[in-house]
Amino acid sequence: MAYNELIKNFEKVRAYMREFYVYGFKSRTEYDAKSARTYDDERRRLESWLGDYMRFTQTPEGKNVFLSVDSRITRKNPFYKAWKAKSFTDGDITLHFAIFDILHDPETRKTLAELINEIDERLSSTVTFDESTLRKKLKEYAEEGIIQIEKEGRKVLYRRSPDTEISSLTDIIDFFSEVAPCGVVGSFLQDRQQEHPELFSFKHHYITQAMDSDIMATLFEAIRGHYYIIIDNLGKHSNEIRSIRLVPLKIYISAQNGRQNLLAFHEKANRLNSYRLDYISKIQIEDETCEKFDALRDALSKAEAHMWGVNCKWNIKHVEHVEFEIKIEDDEQFIVHRLEREKRCGRVEKIDKNHYRYIADVFDTTEMLPWIRTFISRITRLNFSNRTAENKFKVDIQEMYRMYGISGGDKHDI
Amino acid sequence: MIFSELYSVYYHTVAKIIEAAFDPETTEKDLQRCIVEAAFSESVFTILPALKSGKWPLLNEDLSPALMHKPTMPLTNLEKRWLKAIAEDPRVKLFGIEFPDLDQVDPMFTREDYKIYDQYGDGDPFEDEKYIKHFRLMLAAIQNNRPVGITMVNRHGKEMRVRFYPKGFEYSVKDDKIRIIATGCRFKQFNLGRIVNCDFYNGDGSWRQKPQVERRKALTLLITDERNALERVMMHFAHFEKQAEHLEDGKYILRLKYYENDETEIVIRVLSFGPYVKVLEPQSFVNLIKERLISQKSCELK
Repeated sequence: MAYNELIKNFEKVRAYMREFYVYGFKSRTEYDAKSARTYDDERRRLESWLGDYMRFTQTPEGKNVFLSVDSRITRKNPFYKAWKAKSFTDGDITLHFAIFDILHDPETRKTLAELINEIDERLSSTVTFDESTLRKKLKEYAEEGIIQIEKEGRKVLYRRSPDTEISSLTDIIDFFSEVAPCGVVGSFLQDRQQEHPELFSFKHHYITQAMDSDIMATLFEAIRGHYYIIIDNLGKHSNEIRSIRLVPLKIYISAQNGRQNLLAFHEKANRLNSYRLDYISKIQIEDETCEKFDALRDALSKAEAHMWGVNCKWNIKHVEHVEFEIKIEDDEQFIVHRLEREKRCGRVEKIDKNHYRYIADVFDTTEMLPWIRTFISRITRLNFSNRTAENKFKVDIQEMYRMYGISGGDKHDI
Repeated sequence: MIFSELYSVYYHTVAKIIEAAFDPETTEKDLQRCIVEAAFSESVFTILPALKSGKWPLLNEDLSPALMHKPTMPLTNLEKRWLKAIAEDPRVKLFGIEFPDLDQVDPMFTREDYKIYDQYGDGDPFEDEKYIKHFRLMLAAIQNNRPVGITMVNRHGKEMRVRFYPKGFEYSVKDDKIRIIATGCRFKQFNLGRIVNCDFYNGDGSWRQKPQVERRKALTLLITDERNALERVMMHFAHFEKQAEHLEDGKYILRLKYYENDETEIVIRVLSFGPYVKVLEPQSFVNLIKERLISQKSCELK
């Protein structure tokens, strides 16, 4: 099939975007899962959409393509562009503009036959549409909320939905397009607005979330309706995609590592599990609703007091005790502030003027280790009930000493 | 459905073209410019030929519109539901703008449906009246290009008075704070939450001072892909300008650029990966890590 810069299925390009942006070290020959032709087409598409951010490097294995974005400078998430590349037929685009030209204000109401006639007149009969094609399109638009269908006796009338005035919301939409879930929808709204100065930039901005927008929107729909879902999920430890039936409860978004997780009830296993959105390839919302949704949500809220990351259990008695102590100098009160503002659960205790203790009971100590490592240089004591995690932490520090040549004596060259 | 042609660059561009075509002075070049400005880099080979050939019979042969009105489309349910969701976000109050009537619309999500679980706990008080007042004054100053005078508490707890031209805002979702980007003074930015008082500045004075351009520095890391470290590191540092290289035996090089002012933050972010990430260059950054490890060693953690 001839190359087209538009696509029918987003899932296909999603994997490539992630590969080019998050990793970006593979050469063409390493993309062995797909054909070379597929690779070339996807690369060309991404270049067409995101050319400003595309970079190339030559390695012995061949040319590597990668995406590099300093999201502090880029005021609009460039990946939103991919969501605006849906393919369509010649008939789709023609009908779209013709329908809204005839139904140009909400007062105008037309029957299907009237619409057909007027479309023929406007387009000088160069293209003709049958009633069933038009009816299908209008039904589709009614589901999208842009067309209203009314019955008057036996007559079915179509009109456009009323317009919503959003011109005063430019700054709000600019801001939330980047910081709110499913911000790509805000980007669609931005496209409707006049050009204006952009006032906001963003720091610590993980733009990869854009690629999972549809997954997230579908999950929100299921959560709002308390529906069961079946997801196709790539296992964390295997390379297999499995279908799992779940009750989705809440989405957990990280501001520090770019991951987004669904917390869901796995009824069959009677467990609360987390599923990464970027590992979910498909979601099917079932008709059945979960009657105990509210109770499950309450249980999750209670469990949150013991969650550092996204690992969670039903029984809050199954927690691990974590304690560590740090020393600070007299002028390092900001370190105590760091403990206070960065802790997500647990508490901070003052031991004396120069020593503080952090205490928590969490479901999974290993989730805390990266944070505790950020206090390296001042950790004086560890006490984890999970001894394996404690020993691992200590072994890792020894390994870091070795890596940087810090051993034995007290004097080290810096 | 988010992935729909209704939101596509092509529909959007064709709408712009038809709108432009209503002006009898519009030339084919003008229409091409619409494509270059609004669509993808290769769209120019598709859109105008389709309109000119009658494949999409929305323009006449003389490039005048075949339609009678400039194209418009009402908001979709998806767009309204997202707007309703953000209308319920407390940060919306900063802007003091009335939302359109969305009473009959179900929000796409509420604050109960998601959680940013690792956001810092000392975020800005977005619902505080004084904070909102300061934000709006800054917004007005930016929009009208006017200078402001502020009194603020610096990081050492001391009050200071500064005047500057606010030029924009920077928001960090991790810190949950807004910073004001400044010019006309020696500081580059100010935490909005630290401002005690602010007003338009009406005094005289020179505005020659400019903040120093923030230097960007390069950092080279060696990643050992154990315990999924590669994925964790690449995701974690995804928002930097960066380049990765695969060595052998599960080792990878990551080169990234960071802002000098963020160096301490980058040091602790590197430390958080433990022995799976080693700093290779520059030596000054290696030394920062070593200093911390030497101090740690002196803690005699058993």
